[in-house]
Amino acid sequence: MVGNPRTALRSSGSPQGFPSAVFGFAFALPPAAAFLALLALAPRVLDEGALVRSIPWIPSLGLAFSIRLDGLSALFALLVSGIGALIMIYAGSYAKRDPGAWRLFLYLQIFFVSMIGLVVAGNLFLLFIFWEGTSVASYLLIGYAAKNEKARSAAFKSLLVTGGGGIALLAAFLLIESATGSADLAEILASGNRLRESSLYIPILILAALAAFTKSAQFPFHIWLPDGMTAPTPASAYLHSATMVKAGIYLLARLNPVLGLTESWFWVLTATGTLTMLFGAYLGLSQRDLKRLLAYSTISQLGVLTMLIGQDTAIAFKAVVIAVLAHSLYKSALFMTAGIVDHETGTRDLDRLGGLRRAMPGTAAAAVLGGLSMAGLPPMFGFLAKETLISTATHPTLPPFINLILAGTIVAAGALILAQAGVLVLGTFAGPRREGLEARDPPAPMLVAALVPAAASLLFALVPLPGIASLLAAAAGAAFGSPVKVSLALWSGVGIPLALSVVAVSLGLVLLRFESRVRNAQKQLEVGRIIDRLYDGLLAGVDALSRRAVRLQHGRLRLYLSVMFLAVVILFVLFGRPVPPRLAPASVPLDLWAALRVFALAIVVASSAATIVLRRDLHAILALGASGLNVAVLFLLEPAPDVALAMIVVDILTVVILVLALTKLPAAIRARADALDFRESKRQKILDAILASGVGAAAALVAWTALATRPRPSEVSQFYAERSKALAGARDIVGAIVIDFRGFDTLIEIAVFSLAGIGAFSLLCRGALKRDARAADRGSRSPLLRSFAFVILPLCMVLAAVFVMYGHDRPGDGFVGGVIVALAVVFWYAVFGAERSRRTLRWVRPLPLAVSGLALALVQASISYFVNGSFYTPVDFGRRLGLPLPDGFALSTSFLMEVAIFLAVLGGASLVIDSTGHPDDSESCESSGEGR
Amino acid sequence: MNIDHGVLLPVLIPIASAVLGLLFLRGRHRALGLFSLLAILLSLASGGRLLANLARGADPAVLPIGGWPVPASIVYVADFLSATMTVLGQLVFALAIVYSLGCRDRCARDSAYYPLLLTLSAGLAGTFLSGDLFHLFVMIELVVISGAVLTARSDDPAGPEAAYKYFYMSTLAGILLLLASGCLYAAHGTLNMADLARRISAHPECPLGAAGMVFLLSAFLIKGAVVPFHFWQPDFHSAAPTAVSAALSSVVVKIGVYGFLRMTTLLFVPHAEILRSSLIVFGAAGLLYGGFAAAGTRHAKRMLAYSTLAQVGSILIAIGWGTIPAIAAAIVLIVNHALIKASLLMLAGAVASRSPEKSASFESIGGLGRSARAAGVLYFAGALALVGIPPTNGFIGKLVLFRGGVELGRFGTVALLAGAGIVTMIYMLRSFARVWWEGPQGGIEPKPRGDRLAAPAVLIVLCLALGLWAEPLLDLALRGSVYLSEPAAYIAAVLGGGS
Repeated sequence: MVGNPRTALRSSGSPQGFPSAVFGFAFALPPAAAFLALLALAPRVLDEGALVRSIPWIPSLGLAFSIRLDGLSALFALLVSGIGALIMIYAGSYAKRDPGAWRLFLYLQIFFVSMIGLVVAGNLFLLFIFWEGTSVASYLLIGYAAKNEKARSAAFKSLLVTGGGGIALLAAFLLIESATGSADLAEILASGNRLRESSLYIPILILAALAAFTKSAQFPFHIWLPDGMTAPTPASAYLHSATMVKAGIYLLARLNPVLGLTESWFWVLTATGTLTMLFGAYLGLSQRDLKRLLAYSTISQLGVLTMLIGQDTAIAFKAVVIAVLAHSLYKSALFMTAGIVDHETGTRDLDRLGGLRRAMPGTAAAAVLGGLSMAGLPPMFGFLAKETLISTATHPTLPPFINLILAGTIVAAGALILAQAGVLVLGTFAGPRREGLEARDPPAPMLVAALVPAAASLLFALVPLPGIASLLAAAAGAAFGSPVKVSLALWSGVGIPLALSVVAVSLGLVLLRFESRVRNAQKQLEVGRIIDRLYDGLLAGVDALSRRAVRLQHGRLRLYLSVMFLAVVILFVLFGRPVPPRLAPASVPLDLWAALRVFALAIVVASSAATIVLRRDLHAILALGASGLNVAVLFLLEPAPDVALAMIVVDILTVVILVLALTKLPAAIRARADALDFRESKRQKILDAILASGVGAAAALVAWTALATRPRPSEVSQFYAERSKALAGARDIVGAIVIDFRGFDTLIEIAVFSLAGIGAFSLLCRGALKRDARAADRGSRSPLLRSFAFVILPLCMVLAAVFVMYGHDRPGDGFVGGVIVALAVVFWYAVFGAERSRRTLRWVRPLPLAVSGLALALVQASISYFVNGSFYTPVDFGRRLGLPLPDGFALSTSFLMEVAIFLAVLGGASLVIDSTGHPDDSESCESSGEGR
Repeated sequence: MNIDHGVLLPVLIPIASAVLGLLFLRGRHRALGLFSLLAILLSLASGGRLLANLARGADPAVLPIGGWPVPASIVYVADFLSATMTVLGQLVFALAIVYSLGCRDRCARDSAYYPLLLTLSAGLAGTFLSGDLFHLFVMIELVVISGAVLTARSDDPAGPEAAYKYFYMSTLAGILLLLASGCLYAAHGTLNMADLARRISAHPECPLGAAGMVFLLSAFLIKGAVVPFHFWQPDFHSAAPTAVSAALSSVVVKIGVYGFLRMTTLLFVPHAEILRSSLIVFGAAGLLYGGFAAAGTRHAKRMLAYSTLAQVGSILIAIGWGTIPAIAAAIVLIVNHALIKASLLMLAGAVASRSPEKSASFESIGGLGRSARAAGVLYFAGALALVGIPPTNGFIGKLVLFRGGVELGRFGTVALLAGAGIVTMIYMLRSFARVWWEGPQGGIEPKPRGDRLAAPAVLIVLCLALGLWAEPLLDLALRGSVYLSEPAAYIAAVLGGGS
């Protein structure tokens, strides 16, 4: 019962059932129609050789939707559609009581379309598309009973193997295309020796063989097929015996005219095929599950076909086409009877079956016919197949020792297969009836579906229809590359083949007689799962590697950054030409300014080092501030007063915010953080130091080079210097660049600033550690500070107004103004406490301020589009309107931009201040984020 | 010079709408969402117009902002590459907004949520459209801050930490970009990319030029989540809101890829060889590491994030090959991967939204698919696309990529790509089976309703459509690739005729 999808289906089935019989007939229509259409076309195919139709599809890929129907395609297409129609009808009864059976029909239909497409495709890539379609359909069908763990892993295995083969096929096709210059099958087949003589021949051969071997379950890629028997039996009958597994055979036969007829082809195919044939036949005998037994015999048969194609003789191809037809008929019949037995008795375990011939006479008849054909006994079509097969082994074109090996293996495999057929049929239907085994013949559609191919196995052998012979001949001819004669006479006279056949049959009968003993002996050997273990081992290897890979993502930012820095340094050393240029003899006078610079620089270095060394958080923050201020001093000495000013205010704001943030931390956490030493070992510290020096050296080298190769003329700088007043109305180059020439940068940057405020705000809301800091809200009681606060805020506002108004012309701008006012607000928060500051300074509404700043920036940028027809060009309203304005102040879009920057910066900064400065977060987040 | 103010619209429309939304629609998340959707669709249309003009054979649209003479001003350029990337970005963002409208996350009801998505999309469009290196840096800052804030506000408790890490590592990228701009400005006296390209070809051995190249390369390696610069990526995706992680892993990560294309086909043409070979090495590393890490992780979103490392790796390899068909393949892969990965992440998020813990770890969502069949169908299609199985766009991408390699005779690399494909198959099939085939874990009761599937459904339909009707995309990619092979075209479009 384990591995039986029916149990899963039954448990979930509703008693009303599902109109699956109707579905079955409905879904049988497309394959039936295709079958009839193919029959109607067959005479034309036989006459004309190949029918070709082509519709352009994706020309850039050389992919046309082209159909090519020749003998080989027609044979396979007829099998696919004919058996398909029967399977759909069969599935209709099989899936009764399964409410989800629409999936089964859908998947079967997808498969049918893909498989037909595969065999009639006239373009390599089209063929590939359908090839993958069959793999996917097979995956879905094998995993149909998904609640069953075995079904899931079998489905995974099947798609992994066949999908991997699919990739090989794609590669093979690409190589074929590059060697022949075409993906069109007709052109490739007409390319003669082009492929065989190509330098890519061996890769093509290996890749194509890989694809075919995985799909057609050749050793050692056969492992997915026995496991795949978890699929519903209709699917096993259809995909995994009659049609899909022959896709690989089809591929090899298809390409044989251009890839075959070489030594390598012969060896690769014959060796693999022979091995597979023996292996499948041998393991089949040890199986007790009906479907697995059939699966192994299928593998064996597929091996036979591969071996035959490898031989590349006319008679071999005759044997191929006969075997394809014979196998499809008897194996689908046998699978369907196995399904019936399973369906009716609830088991397909040979140990629990037996004596069903009376209870299920119809089923038994189908099974006997199928079994006889499988065993290769007269008067079945399977006999014909086996006779032809044996005659290839004695073919005079092969070297004698190979003949010997082939004959031996074929006889051995034939005997094993015969024994299996016997075990299968006799074990189920003969002998005494097992206890508790209730069964009767299934509903008519199911039985008929199984009987049709079984009967055909007999009929085709007894009544040699001329159409069949000529179709087979056409198929064999298309695969061989030149005409092949096929006669379907059962009796071909007495000779070595007949003798070998007799040997095989007698051996088989002996095996059958001692079947249980043989099986016991096989158990001792345990070869069956070697390849499965290999597969498991490979997957385990992948998993082990994967776990290792995942472990690299350990979540520690310090190490992430270290790796990144290290990689940058390595790249820099490799490609960055890190050769320091020689510095021109120093022309820098050693005066007071130089001394000041050196002093400031020393402080920067020292205070940076101090941030690392100092333990107390507050001290480290102050050191950071010192470092920043001295950088500002360096800028001031440059002289770059604009930058220095911005640097100073930003530095102060940073320190203030950091200190405010500290007040939010509970004392315990701060104490713990202060006490924390880096837990890394000394070695780690040394490595960090080396890395830091590397990064520092790279940066220093860049700075050195920049200095040493200075000055270099830049058109752009020159342009800014010369034209800022004339074009932008600004005496201050920095102002002109920030507001005008590259004002759009500024616009985006203030957006970034505001969003950063929003971000800090929400992070603080989320990470809020509550209640601890409530005490801080009292503020200061010093009257001096309080009166000072009342003075400083208006003063800062005036200063900011000046900066905003004249920023365009002088150092200082809206940004500095915004930060200064924000600092004054912080001062209020510190002095009066958050609650009172909020109540008094009602105009500090962070989010609206920030957003309206942005809005104003956008508006001023767009105004000029309507005034000048160009986005973001300066417009001086004051001059246009002739307003009397103080010197140096212009009522222009530039002024509006300064105001916008001021608002956005003030807003963004106060978002942070408000959330860090306020002791109790949960309410403030709700109220000020949304409302204020 | 084909001056067209429309180049600005994909940037201005979302930013202006974000501002309007924050000013007037605070607290009304439904209205805000619909308004944002309208905005992004308008923006998408404006990007589509640019692309359509180019497809009709127009010159690249150029806009020097403020009307200043070219190297001195910021220039916006919509050429084949930037217009395609912009349209792709806006499309994914439109669907991210659609997803957000139907999602059950609390963070999507935040007043800042949709505006931040809009600024993120604006930043992305600006990154692609900017013809100025420093402006590109500024736009990337906008992307980073928006993405970080969105993640910080995520429902996931790990959001702030992920945002913090993302912000930190992105800041490193920002510093490197700034360093690169500085070096290149010091070496060549310009920040305009066309002008830089012209000057670099004239003086390829300028001091600091190589350093600038290395820093720029490193910055884009971080942005593109290329191994070993990828660390921000997986942590980010498990914590970010679904719509955000879908957008980031699909289009925002392509900033790096875009950068590599610009570096090899425009800025550093004299050094393209060395860049290309290093890209192949990085690509191979990503392919291996990303694939195995994806197979090893126990979290659906992280798995998809790792898989992005591998997919970006294959794009890098295509760029590294550098031939016209290979670059065309890279463009096709860029588009396909964006659509596939966005849909898969949204589907993972949709399933996670049904788990009680709202987590996408397989422990939480294993077996939950039984209550979300439609998501399963979509996910399966997406998985096929990611693996490259027809009839999906992923197959088309794989085909052109492999063909590009075969034409060059790079069989070893193609074999590596094929092996990576098998690894992809392993983890995608496993994840599908875990969520949709296995029974639910003991005791986990899925929530009756989860996020809506409209957005991923549209994406999957696009994936299938681009698989069955691939010609337009292939044609576009090929024309784009031919155009990229001639850097003079870009330079002439920006600097005017006889450069």
